[in-house]
Amino acid sequence: MSAPAPALVLRGATRRHPGGRGVADVDLAVREGEFVALVGPSGAGKTTLLRLMASLDAPHAGEVRRFGETPRGPRRGDTRVAVVFQRPRLVGRADALANVLAGRLGHLPRWRALLGAFDDGDRRLALASLAKVGLLDRAGDRADRLSGGEQQRVAIARALAQAPRVLLADEPVASLDPDNARAVLAVLRACADDGLAVVASLHQPELARAYCDRVVALRDGRVEAGGAEGEAA
Amino acid sequence: MGERDEGAPADGPGIGAGRAGGPCVDLRRPAADRVDAGRVDAGRVDAGRVDAGRVDAALAADRERRRDPRAMVARVALPLVLALAFAVAWHVAGVDLGRLAAGLPKIGHWLAQAWPPDVRELPVFVLRMGETVAVAFVGTAVAALAAVPAALLAARGVTPMPRLRVPLRWVLNAFRGIDAFVFALILVAAVGLGPFAGALGVMLHTWGSCAKLFADQLETMPLETAEALQAGGAGRIAAFRHALLPELGPAWASSALYLFEFNVRASTVLGVVGAGGIGQELKASMDLLDFARLATILAVILVAVTAIDTASAWLRRRLA
Repeated sequence: MSAPAPALVLRGATRRHPGGRGVADVDLAVREGEFVALVGPSGAGKTTLLRLMASLDAPHAGEVRRFGETPRGPRRGDTRVAVVFQRPRLVGRADALANVLAGRLGHLPRWRALLGAFDDGDRRLALASLAKVGLLDRAGDRADRLSGGEQQRVAIARALAQAPRVLLADEPVASLDPDNARAVLAVLRACADDGLAVVASLHQPELARAYCDRVVALRDGRVEAGGAEGEAA
Repeated sequence: MGERDEGAPADGPGIGAGRAGGPCVDLRRPAADRVDAGRVDAGRVDAGRVDAGRVDAALAADRERRRDPRAMVARVALPLVLALAFAVAWHVAGVDLGRLAAGLPKIGHWLAQAWPPDVRELPVFVLRMGETVAVAFVGTAVAALAAVPAALLAARGVTPMPRLRVPLRWVLNAFRGIDAFVFALILVAAVGLGPFAGALGVMLHTWGSCAKLFADQLETMPLETAEALQAGGAGRIAAFRHALLPELGPAWASSALYLFEFNVRASTVLGVVGAGGIGQELKASMDLLDFARLATILAVILVAVTAIDTASAWLRRRLA
């Protein structure tokens, strides 16, 4: 019996930035239930690669396939793929629950999304997501009153409320102290154990080795180690 | 350390002179700490140390800059131009202190006539003031609502139609540049006498001001939260509604309240051109030189404007 098809496949993915940075010829496949870390020094191409996977940018050459399909175009959101950024990107004046509920917008019809008419199912899922990151009791607190680590966990809860199959996290622990960093990575590990394909860029190789199934090392926009895997390329 | 000192001059007065045996000043950092702490550019930048020779060179350069003829012209010519402009404006404005001196006793006489104020028509004045507040409220509220889509179209980085942005900014500036009083003057001729013309005038002027303010505030907002929601599948408008509006809403409401305060004050004179409100009573009193009546009207305006300013300022503080 063959293994399931990878959730994410990159073949020769290339995107160059004007300054010369970017990524070139990246072959990589990530399966659901797998936690992959992208490690490398600043400028190695980690964020560029994650933005390609998230379809926030389009490759200049090669291809990025998600669930066997080529995304419709850059900046086209897909509820199956959730993104967590280095900064939590929360609405500071809104409470944690309202922020997490925003993760449901992609599942709502246009008018309900516009009005913010979330039903009980959406609220239940949002609260369950907050519980998963250990912040159920902070649901009613304004986001800007939470600590940096808590805000990042709310951002992960928002991503989980999206009910995604892939979770991409760009430097999710870069601005956190060691305890909060471990708490956030433990949540991402649990997500992978629940069957999500998780890709996170990290600066600390020791954390990557401790929490991830595979470590992909990047340098100067190219994969040095840990690339491809499965049927990629 | 020896290598580090190669970059220092052989000697130097000024700051460096105070330190025994060398031209560099140690700004109270331990020697061990400064060895490799701030070395950036081949010995030229040392954290905690000031190179006295370089300070002297900078001082000389500064002296040279101040001697620059262009800087001298700017220092002398600018005050001269300002003084000339003031003298011309004084003449054009027809300022005549003699006439002021002759008119002051007249004003004093009127003030004496204004006391005691005539309060027999107070209920009418309160009603007229209510009309003025209503004109300002309707005008501001409709303008603020209409300003939201205009701001979205006029804000750089947000507008879905970038080509429309600059022409729309021109239109907004035009509406902002024409006072509500002038709009009311025109609209009285179009829709007839009464507060409706005043409300329309306030609306048109405020729409331009409000949309520009909203757009400027929108342009300063980081769009990354909206991008995060869009990455998760939210539509563009829903992402704006949920990412930006909660952050912008209080600022926009505060701006609208501020404009409302301004409009209440501005609307008190709309009656002069027949656009309703307390202004028409004001004009009637002035035409009849009935200063006791005028004193009551001014008191009503003062109380209403102060009450509204205070309430609005309190609300704006709560929104902050």
